[in-house]
Amino acid sequence: MKDRLPGGISIMKQLLTGNEAAAEAAIQAGCRYYYGYPITPQNELINYMSTRMPEVGGAFIQAESEIAAISMVHGSAAAGGRAMTSSSSPGISLKQEGISYLAGSELPCVIVNIQRGGPGLGDISASQADYFQAVKGGGHGDYHTIVLAPCSVQEMADLVYDAFDLADKYRNPVIILGDAQVGQLMEPVEFHKKPKKNLPAKSWALTGAEGRKKNVIKSFYPVKGQLEEFNAHLQRKYRTIEEHEVRYEAINIHKADVILVAYGTSARICKEVVKKSQQYKFKVGMVRPVTLWPFPKEIIRKVSERVECILTVEMSAGQMVEDVKLAVEGRCPVHFYGRTGGGVPTSLEIIRKIVEIVPDNRAANTLLQLAAVK
Amino acid sequence: MTTTLTAPKEQSCTLLAPGHTACTGCGEALAAKLVLGAAGTNIIVTDATGCLEVFTTKFPQSSWEVPFIHSLFENSAAVASGVEVALKALGRQNEAKVIAQGGDGGTADIGLQALSGMLERGHDILYVCYDNEAYMNTGVQRSGLTPFDCMTTTSPCGEFSWGNKHNKKDMPSIAAAHGIPYVATASVAFPKDIENKVKKALSITGPKYMQIHSPCPLGWRSKPQLTIQVARLAVQTGLYPIFEIENGKVTKVRKVTTPKTPVEEYLKIQGRFAHLFKSPKGKEEIQKIQEIADRNIEKYGLA
Repeated sequence: MKDRLPGGISIMKQLLTGNEAAAEAAIQAGCRYYYGYPITPQNELINYMSTRMPEVGGAFIQAESEIAAISMVHGSAAAGGRAMTSSSSPGISLKQEGISYLAGSELPCVIVNIQRGGPGLGDISASQADYFQAVKGGGHGDYHTIVLAPCSVQEMADLVYDAFDLADKYRNPVIILGDAQVGQLMEPVEFHKKPKKNLPAKSWALTGAEGRKKNVIKSFYPVKGQLEEFNAHLQRKYRTIEEHEVRYEAINIHKADVILVAYGTSARICKEVVKKSQQYKFKVGMVRPVTLWPFPKEIIRKVSERVECILTVEMSAGQMVEDVKLAVEGRCPVHFYGRTGGGVPTSLEIIRKIVEIVPDNRAANTLLQLAAVK
Repeated sequence: MTTTLTAPKEQSCTLLAPGHTACTGCGEALAAKLVLGAAGTNIIVTDATGCLEVFTTKFPQSSWEVPFIHSLFENSAAVASGVEVALKALGRQNEAKVIAQGGDGGTADIGLQALSGMLERGHDILYVCYDNEAYMNTGVQRSGLTPFDCMTTTSPCGEFSWGNKHNKKDMPSIAAAHGIPYVATASVAFPKDIENKVKKALSITGPKYMQIHSPCPLGWRSKPQLTIQVARLAVQTGLYPIFEIENGKVTKVRKVTTPKTPVEEYLKIQGRFAHLFKSPKGKEEIQKIQEIADRNIEKYGLA
């Protein structure tokens, strides 16, 4: 069967929500153990899995709580399976103890957070207020999870697919940090069959000990000095991840006066600003972190050496901006524009903010006037 | 011509004020209104996340004409425990009765641990579970109280499944096993019965558990105007036994009809069971559901 129509249009494309794309990508990546619990706005994912998992002979369980779901992931990952769970902000809060144990036990798994507004029950619209929780730990102890931030349905599929490889490669939990918009919007998506990577065998898994030494999976090191030694090992692993796994998208960074830094849904809006600015010869560039941890410090440090200023745009009260500032280390001013509680920044608001921070820029002013008229 | 409408000056006649955003024919809204009406104003209510909480408390408005606190999803019983012990410590326990509320998911799944603690410690609290048999607020996912073979978005029917493959969790028995003074089931089809049971429960000191069958037209795919009829058929067929358990003993039951009403009568008016009527094999499944009803009738002496 041909997979292209005349004109090169792929017939393999499907119209799916980000949530469904995440589920399908997980299945194509070999995930056969999915444990979910209802919470808006990620329900499409659990619904999709409930139908799709039996078709591929996998396990779908709707757990009795988020804690049970992450603990089932713990069990399946320990048995050597590719396991996933998903939830949204309040549910992810409940999973934090489990995530810390997974990191401490070095168990690979994928956790999808389709962020909604907080704190507390908040609301069900898109938000990016769980950045700190995902990137700085969330649970207790010195640990890191790899955090991937998709900004489209296609990227959701690609990153979920890669997440399982990253998890297995480093024996570490990977978090997909989406939001209600990326999770629920529908876009065409294609599932690329990728060549199998040469991943380490799971010789540590709990699979029965007939004829070999038993495996033990734990995160408890009560003998003095043992935990420090283990933590040093974790830190070495995290440095390796920081060296090798940073991903970002850079647009127009070489000639820009102002650089926008944004991820996920905010980044889509910032792209619009960059596009508009080109029409009016106003030099706005953009760095979009794809990995939030490891954070693309190096590229942000580099651009900070030559731009007038950096503007970080988030759907939060200002969280990632702290990491941008740490990367910039005072080389240029770092500004922030954010909306919370379901508020989504518009391109006009972002342009206004740019004019505010670079008031003498004629091109920016022209752009603002034109954008405002439209 | 313009007509000016003025709001009546006297207080709303119901303690769950109108204007909330429940769906047409919502059984849970009706049940909550009846519970509050019977309990009166000297109460403090907690409510877990769920339909009831969402449709009554859209910020900055509230339908609750009584003191109200929203807990998380999993801890209505624990928050109520805190309220109850604080009232005792302040010497104000006679001023208000505490009522904890949750849906079936918030009670039988994620909230079971907190509920068990509340029942075990003997708090003077009435816990009310509004049982609409799935997570309706998030789009009809199965819960521990979803009935056998029922179709939900996470227990789909098809080649591999007839819907929910597990039996409805016997929550009233779990509650009764804690050795608490009062356990009751009720149905929105019998409003007077709900009111009497709430009044009786509140007259008893200690932990009480009440579970009210509350049809959800959206999730059950039944006609909104049939909510009461659907609820009544659940009771009449024996699928939702109505009883009271006092100090471990069944003291009162509502009898089913004679002759027996077959479960088909209940199942066929709900879209969530429609798949059972589409193939000959579905008949075997309906027979299994009939056996559940028969077991209930025998267990509680409903005939």
